[in-house]
Amino acid sequence: MAPPVRYCVPGERLCNLEEGSPGSGTYTRHGYIFSSLAGCLTKSSENGALPVVSVMRETESQLLPDVGAIVTCKVSSINSRFAKVHILYVGSTPLKNSFRGTIRKEDVRATEKDKVSRWCPSAGVRCSALRPTLKNSGKW
Amino acid sequence: MPGDHRRIRGPEESQPPQLYAADEEEAPAARDPTRLRPVYARAGLLSQAKGSAYLEAGGTKVLCAVSGPRQAEGGERGGGPAGAGGEAPAALRGRLLCDFRRAPFAGRRRRAPPGGGEERELALALQEALEPAVRLGRYPRAQLEVSALLLEDGGSALAAALTAAALALADAGVEMYDLVVGCGLSRAPGPAPTWLLDPTRLEEERAAAGLTVALMPVLNQVAGLLGSGEGGPTESWAEAVRLGLEGCQRLYPVLQQCLVRAARRRDAAAPL
Repeated sequence: MAPPVRYCVPGERLCNLEEGSPGSGTYTRHGYIFSSLAGCLTKSSENGALPVVSVMRETESQLLPDVGAIVTCKVSSINSRFAKVHILYVGSTPLKNSFRGTIRKEDVRATEKDKVSRWCPSAGVRCSALRPTLKNSGKW
Repeated sequence: MPGDHRRIRGPEESQPPQLYAADEEEAPAARDPTRLRPVYARAGLLSQAKGSAYLEAGGTKVLCAVSGPRQAEGGERGGGPAGAGGEAPAALRGRLLCDFRRAPFAGRRRRAPPGGGEERELALALQEALEPAVRLGRYPRAQLEVSALLLEDGGSALAAALTAAALALADAGVEMYDLVVGCGLSRAPGPAPTWLLDPTRLEEERAAAGLTVALMPVLNQVAGLLGSGEGGPTESWAEAVRLGLEGCQRLYPVLQQCLVRAARRRDAAAPL
């Protein structure tokens, strides 16, 4: 049998900062870790370092493209200076509502796995008129 | 007219109908000024909404639903280089759009849906009270939509809507610093009246002043305050706020339980 799961509500004080380090779904204030979601409390025990305290929800609701994340987009319109895209996937999980983003001419580089936050200028991008799917580290 | 069988003749004398009308309750019964009506709260009942909550307190029934986060309308700019310090953080924060609606059957008389200024004012009050509790910084350039529907007004409707909205936001998985609990108060007209916690509709109608307090219980911070009416000395308003805060703290355990139950229900349904 799985151990009893402890559920917590937003704003519940979980533990001291000395007993754990904050993970996802938590925030710290006045030296304590508080929960910021309504979900299950999980403590991952690291070897040596403090256990990471985080609150998990089954559904992936925090799926917003973050700075430096890898996103998969589909081009929706092309200008001479930039291309407007719809962001469809963040990482490998699909988004429910697609966000829109813009890729500037000098920001585009067709790299696969880079997570750099600053781009080297490159030559102009040439997209085929068929609106291809771009996979690059774009900023939205 | 002698022998007129085609007409239906009414009685010779007539009396006003008020004699026969049922007597309306004159004054609300005397009660303990700090009593809170029993509350029924349930989260996660709408399958189409991201998060939802239903709250019943005495005769007041509120249903609240949350959807989002969605791309914020009104100009999204293209991405710039990462180190751009020029853009103020405020522009990157998420937005909370609140909507308060009163069902046409909510009060004693039917009210057509565009309720005018009152609904807008209450929606603004909702937004002001919920904003400090939601971690909008975690939802840059996104907007969260909260809509509250008042199904029946039995007194302290705004307080119930606030509580239901906070529950719905927590149920939707929106990151919050704390829940928001609302409590209504009213003061009857008269020379030395006391403030009544959680008034019924009758008490609210006859009140000279009303107040709604919103509190974040764990952080112990007041999230919103909306009052109206002619109140008397400032100490009585301070006393009312204190009473309201106490009421909010007493309500908090019920909401905690409600969210935990909803999370359990959600987990039980998930693997299927």
